Amino acid sequence: MPMPKGYTSKFGYATVSGDSGCLTYREIAENMTADGEKINHSTARNIFLRAMRKIANHVVVDYPDCDTDQIAEDPRFQSAVQELATEIYDI
Amino acid sequence: MNLDSFFKEVGQHPLLSKEQEVQLAQAIEAGDKFARDKMIQSNLRLAISIAKQYNKSGCALEDLIQESTIGLMEAVDRFDWRRGFKFSTYACWWIKQSVRRHVTSNASMIRLPNHARTVLWQANQLRKDYIESFGTEPTLEEIAGVLGIGANTLRSLKKSAGNMISLDATVGSSGDDSRKLYEVIPDESDTVLDRLMKSDMQQAVRSAFALLSHREEKVIRLRFGITASDNDDKNFPITKSELKKLEDRTNANA
Repeated sequence: MPMPKGYTSKFGYATVSGDSGCLTYREIAENMTADGEKINHSTARNIFLRAMRKIANHVVVDYPDCDTDQIAEDPRFQSAVQELATEIYDI
Repeated sequence: MNLDSFFKEVGQHPLLSKEQEVQLAQAIEAGDKFARDKMIQSNLRLAISIAKQYNKSGCALEDLIQESTIGLMEAVDRFDWRRGFKFSTYACWWIKQSVRRHVTSNASMIRLPNHARTVLWQANQLRKDYIESFGTEPTLEEIAGVLGIGANTLRSLKKSAGNMISLDATVGSSGDDSRKLYEVIPDESDTVLDRLMKSDMQQAVRSAFALLSHREEKVIRLRFGITASDNDDKNFPITKSELKKLEDRTNANA
């Protein structure tokens, strides 16, 4: 029996490991665990996506028909939020 | 008068023999203006021929012919028939000098001094020799090293000597309705609307961040590589040890 094909994002996957200072989910999990908050990489991803959904829900308030779950997972949205967050905090 | 009719008119003046040149030169010495005019008109073909050699220098042919004629007039005034040379032998140096001076001053929007042009010419010759010997293009640093000048100086000289393009130049087919170059170059700066939208989005994201829990905020910060400064505890609470760990990790990854 073939393996289920699973979900493939329409616009690829968001990856930040090449960016300066950005951490992978495993590195985030290691970092948080070292600080006393024991989580694994899946949890790190879930927390990240939950945060993205919150942000998506907030910014698309004028567009009630939008699927915020899909937007939150969209790598284009994630990189846009990264860019805006970086500008906001003037890193 | 256009150039074609000018060429036709110049062609009507016959060339002079050596004896005629001597006679005219003697008359010029005695102050004969008509003899001077005849000497000039009979040698205009030489002036045009030399001007055409510099046609690809970036100057208009009409200007080049004008300059070469000025050189010709200078040669007529200075010609010494006692030396026994043909006039054309003497005149071509004055004509060339006059045209070259004009080309040096006017070929480009940016006027380069003579020594800079010499350096560029040497660099070009060196490049040709290098390609002939090794079959590959030399780097700018290599050329600069051989010439004994800095790479930045050579880069700057090349940039200054580059061809200028007018933004008003037409693109594609010629005609009054064809588009200008400035119309097809995209403006990549943000428009006022873009900036307003960006500002709105920044505001929305800023307020959205306030809704996040401490843990979510920390994960986002780590994921996006947003490190907090010591005095930014309000936006991104982080301890100094956390910051140091993150910096160590970033340096190790770099």
